[in-house]
Amino acid sequence: MTDLLATSPDTWRDRALDPPAVPPELLPPADATPWERNRALWERHDLRRQRAEAVYEASRNPERGWPVSGNRAVLTFFRDLLSTRKGMFTALVVVNALAAATGLVVPRLLGELVNTTVDGGGLPLDTLALAIIGVVVLQAAFTFVAQRTSTVFGQDLLSTAREYIVRTILRLPLGAVESASTGDLVTRVTRDVGTMSRSVQYGLPMAIISLLTVVLSIGAMLLNSVVLAVPALLTFATSAPAVRRYLRRAPKGYITEGATYSRINTTLTETVEGARTLEALGLPGERVRAGDDDIEVSAQAERYGMTLRNVLFAALNFAFQTPRVVTLLVGAYAYSRGWVDLGQITAAVLYVEALGDPLDRLIGEVDRLQVGAASTSRLLGIAEVRPDREAGDRLPDGVDLVGTDLRFAYREGHDVLHGVDLRLGVGERLAIVGPSGSGKSTLGRLLSGINRPRTGSASVGGVELVDLPLEVLRTEVALVTQEHHVFIGSVRDNIVLAREDSDDDAVREALRAVGSLLWVERLPQGLDTVIGSGRYALTPAQAQQVALARLIIADPHTLVLDEATSLIDPRTARTLEGSMNNLLEGRTVVAIAHRLHTAHDADRIAVVIDGRIVELGSHHELVELDGEYAALWRAWTS
Amino acid sequence: MQDFPPRIATFFTGTGDAPTPDPDTRSPAAFLRWMLRQQWQVIALSSLACLLWLMPLTFGPYIFGRAVDEGILGGSTPHLLTWSAVMLGVVVVGGVFGVVFHTLVVRTWLISLYGTTQMVTRKIAQMGHVLPRRSPTGEVLSVASSDSDEFGALTEVLARSAAQLVSYLTVAAIVLSMSWELGVLVLVAAPVLLGAALPLLRPLHRRQQTERSRNSELTSMATDIVAGLRILRGIGGEETFGRNYAAQSQAARRAGVSSGIWQAVVEAVGVLLSGVFLVSLVWLGTRQVVAGELTVGQLISFLGYGLFMVGPIRTFFELAQKSTRALVSARRAIAIFEQRPPWREPDRPVPLDGTAEIVDDLSGFTARPGLLTVVVSAVPEQSAALADRLGRYLPPDTDPVGEDEAEGLKGRAARRARADRERRRARIAARDEEAATREWGVRLGGVDLSAARLDDVRRTVLVSDTGSGLFAGTLQDAVDPHGRLTREQAEQALRVANAEDVYDALPQGWQGQLDERGRGLSGGQRQRVVLARALAVDAPVLVLVEPTSAVDAHTEARIAARVADLRRGRTTVVCTVSPLWLHHADRVALLRDGVVVAEGEHADLLERDAAYREVVVRALEDEGVPQ
Ligand SMILES: Nc1ncnc2c1ncn2[C@@H]1O[C@H](COP(=O)(O)OP(=O)(O)OP(=O)(O)O)[C@@H](O)[C@H]1O
Ligand SMILES: [Mg+2]
Repeated sequence: MTDLLATSPDTWRDRALDPPAVPPELLPPADATPWERNRALWERHDLRRQRAEAVYEASRNPERGWPVSGNRAVLTFFRDLLSTRKGMFTALVVVNALAAATGLVVPRLLGELVNTTVDGGGLPLDTLALAIIGVVVLQAAFTFVAQRTSTVFGQDLLSTAREYIVRTILRLPLGAVESASTGDLVTRVTRDVGTMSRSVQYGLPMAIISLLTVVLSIGAMLLNSVVLAVPALLTFATSAPAVRRYLRRAPKGYITEGATYSRINTTLTETVEGARTLEALGLPGERVRAGDDDIEVSAQAERYGMTLRNVLFAALNFAFQTPRVVTLLVGAYAYSRGWVDLGQITAAVLYVEALGDPLDRLIGEVDRLQVGAASTSRLLGIAEVRPDREAGDRLPDGVDLVGTDLRFAYREGHDVLHGVDLRLGVGERLAIVGPSGSGKSTLGRLLSGINRPRTGSASVGGVELVDLPLEVLRTEVALVTQEHHVFIGSVRDNIVLAREDSDDDAVREALRAVGSLLWVERLPQGLDTVIGSGRYALTPAQAQQVALARLIIADPHTLVLDEATSLIDPRTARTLEGSMNNLLEGRTVVAIAHRLHTAHDADRIAVVIDGRIVELGSHHELVELDGEYAALWRAWTS
Repeated sequence: MQDFPPRIATFFTGTGDAPTPDPDTRSPAAFLRWMLRQQWQVIALSSLACLLWLMPLTFGPYIFGRAVDEGILGGSTPHLLTWSAVMLGVVVVGGVFGVVFHTLVVRTWLISLYGTTQMVTRKIAQMGHVLPRRSPTGEVLSVASSDSDEFGALTEVLARSAAQLVSYLTVAAIVLSMSWELGVLVLVAAPVLLGAALPLLRPLHRRQQTERSRNSELTSMATDIVAGLRILRGIGGEETFGRNYAAQSQAARRAGVSSGIWQAVVEAVGVLLSGVFLVSLVWLGTRQVVAGELTVGQLISFLGYGLFMVGPIRTFFELAQKSTRALVSARRAIAIFEQRPPWREPDRPVPLDGTAEIVDDLSGFTARPGLLTVVVSAVPEQSAALADRLGRYLPPDTDPVGEDEAEGLKGRAARRARADRERRRARIAARDEEAATREWGVRLGGVDLSAARLDDVRRTVLVSDTGSGLFAGTLQDAVDPHGRLTREQAEQALRVANAEDVYDALPQGWQGQLDERGRGLSGGQRQRVVLARALAVDAPVLVLVEPTSAVDAHTEARIAARVADLRRGRTTVVCTVSPLWLHHADRVALLRDGVVVAEGEHADLLERDAAYREVVVRALEDEGVPQ
């Protein structure tokens, strides 16, 4: 026999040579002149940019795990959302523009007031004061209407977006769900939906409002005095290159940040769930270090974003604060020339002054939108997982399950099944046995239509399993594993999964069959009692029964049991045995098991070794044959 | 001064860092105070930076007013240039410190965020298997992932509010120096405006709370859907749960709209009030200019300040909202951080001798030194319970108590529910402590395990239970998580656990990636890697619970033989009923109702004990006659 560990010396790594979580070039120099420090800072920034770009590239087409979508998908997504709400969106823009515009009348009136005060001309003071009050009241009213519209709009957009995401998750290809990690997915539906919410709910309306205010302010400045406005506007414009650069780089930076938080969460989840194992092995120290490393990496991503923003802020601060000085100087000169009056200068200064706030907000919101867009592309990435099947319209004719020449590879070029042929008799019990890792569970997954075979076919009633609509597939074959989950929802919701239109009688019947009608009826609200995490808690045995009741409702003619009963607590096993028998009664059963009692009792046994069925027959035939099964049986009963 | 990521070494000192102080968990407010105190320097500095950043707003109108009076109306170019230069200086200082402020805010925010996550990790490291007995996993995770963010937000708004307050007082002083009436107006205005809006804040706050709780329900539904996705896609139910989610999402939307409308009311009233304030300022100001008590430039300054007032008021609102949220988060954080390990280190710890006999009083079980003892029980839970006792683990017999249950409760009822939860948690903690501090009842070489240090127990007795799982990482990390094996030792562990095929199945060998919980391996492969990891630790006493339940008989036989061989001379206990292990057992103990009822050699017991035969014998009596 060849030594499976032959290449071990080549692949073993020396831990002492493991690179640190963060390369030393990303740490600031210890003692250096301010000049060198400054240079080092920009070198680090550049390095972090390269890292962010690498992370972004890698996450577009990940080797494992869920992808991230491109910018275009995000834009299209929001454009589509907006285009179905054109009326609402127009209303939003109009009322906000009105609110902003009335707000802008105030500085003009104040300027007028200054004129009146200085030279006594113009409108009388009291009239002006009353006019200002009127405008303020109007502004308050418009503000209310505008905010209200924004809220309604933002909330509507948000709920549509998140429902879309969840619908997408609920449509994820079966094969992908079975094999990909849930940690990252959880981070996406929690942190990323949260970030997206904030940016849709506040960011989008606020950005629109601020943008309107800024644009209208600029318009008002021009109306007030072109001479005073133009120099200020030119100074504003100097920030354009910085803004462009920021917009180009920020998305990758924020997507990188998002990925680091996913990583922190995944590690932490593992730590919490494996607390006992860690304690037993004396691993808490390593785990704490692993967590710290994740945070170290995340801190680098945050530093990149921080520097990006700092550069932007520096440019914007310059561009939007110096107009104060510019306006003053130009104003003084223009006043001395008699081009403008004091009121215009006052108004211009108040505009520049008042522009600070919406501008700050606009920057803040644009930044928030960038973060939101990064999260959205992580969310939309889920939608980019390609479907693994397309439902045909043929329905099975008959209930016989046939697999021919089944081959399958999890990794390209490494088949774990090598041409398996299997025909199940109706109502037959087939046991699958064989060495660990020989492909039994894989065969089970092909026979229940979860994965598409690489070659060959697995069909029921003459139709490929993977070409059946899922709703049909579930009523034909079901794969039962040890995993069970009680959903947050009513008892009824937890049971009718496979046939969601089942009536209460059917539910009760199913509960009776698994022996749980009694305790369900004793629940505070019967079938309507909400169970699941954080709600009414079920015992493990009750959870098991719920899982079986689901199958009774699904009523498939064939069940594939993958060591489904090996973890059942023997005390509950006794109560469950009856329910299990009720479930199996009259169905075709494929049981994958290491307990050979199951095999002994089966009609036929398939021995799978190295991805091939090497023996097939009843217990007695195989014992007689004195081959693999006989040896296994002897070993097991020895 | 602290920087991010912070250096945290609280709760857990296993990493060799000097310990940092534990958080104050006496009350949510105390916790927040503690957290802020930890980084007061950064917060104070960022407050200062914020103050300087606000300088153009604070002094701009004043400077402008002077420039108008002296430079424009006065027609003096030198004055104009001087004031312009001053303005430029103020603007430059503001710009520079804007960047500094942002840097420091990011710093305080991330110190709180990362620090909280690090404390959670260390709490788990400190509590080990005791934490899941007391707090639900989801809640532990949400403290790290969402509550930590609230703490970050609090540090930011706090720094900003302090700066706004100073800047507001400065403005008041400036105005006061020009006209006492207007100064008083400015000074009085902010509290009055805040006070006037306060009655509106209460209903707003209530609505926001509803909105938050709807949203958190929504999040837990989404998490639930993801957790059960395999079942939803496998068996069905996408419609139902998609619909439930959509219904909840709509409820959250309605709650959001309702709170948003109140927010709009508050905003509008804010606009109205500050408008009224502005008008009063203007009205008074123009009177005074006409009366000659005030210059035009000063009036212009006032108008500028009238607009300035909006900033501080908005910030104070924000402070009020974020503090309440931080308090709620602090309560959840405390529920985790206040947990203490139940163990008490003995005053004079006795070192354990791993080569001695281990005895459990409760069951009467004895494992002779250096032998392989198999524990047989018809009820696997009972042998698992024995294994837990041998390793000094508390039994998994509690329902953890969450903090998040007070859904929809208000006032008295909420307080009562909270008190009730606290009582329940305290009860579990008291029970743990009771069990952990009294004599444990398991003796190794005559020393009760409670007389030794806990990490000595963990080092000496390794219990690998059925819940042991793999962590994401390379195969090498999985077999050698401590990084202290030589390659040969790791190879041997893999061979003894008969897991060479796992190595072979991964294209990069030792560097092949395993996903979380070993997904990507077959069930039996996972179990064998876990076994290899346990064997590689080379503990003086090794307790294996059902180590081969997911592998075939041939593999099991090989593993049993190899393990027996490897462990020869060291105490090993295996809980199983498989004859394949029993063949290699030096001794066998049969448990019934958790008590040893028979003991001896396998062949012997097989001969004389019918009950034993019934549990272990697999060959069917009716062999040959199909049923
Ligand atoms: N999700 C996966 N990704 C990649 N490889 C996998 C995956 N699942 C299983 N494999 C590999 O495919 C082979 C067959 O696995 P399978 O789970 O079918 O074995 P099995 O016969 O069920 O074994 P066991 O008795 O241990 O459960 C194994 O080598 C395993 O490492
Ligand atoms: Mg399997």
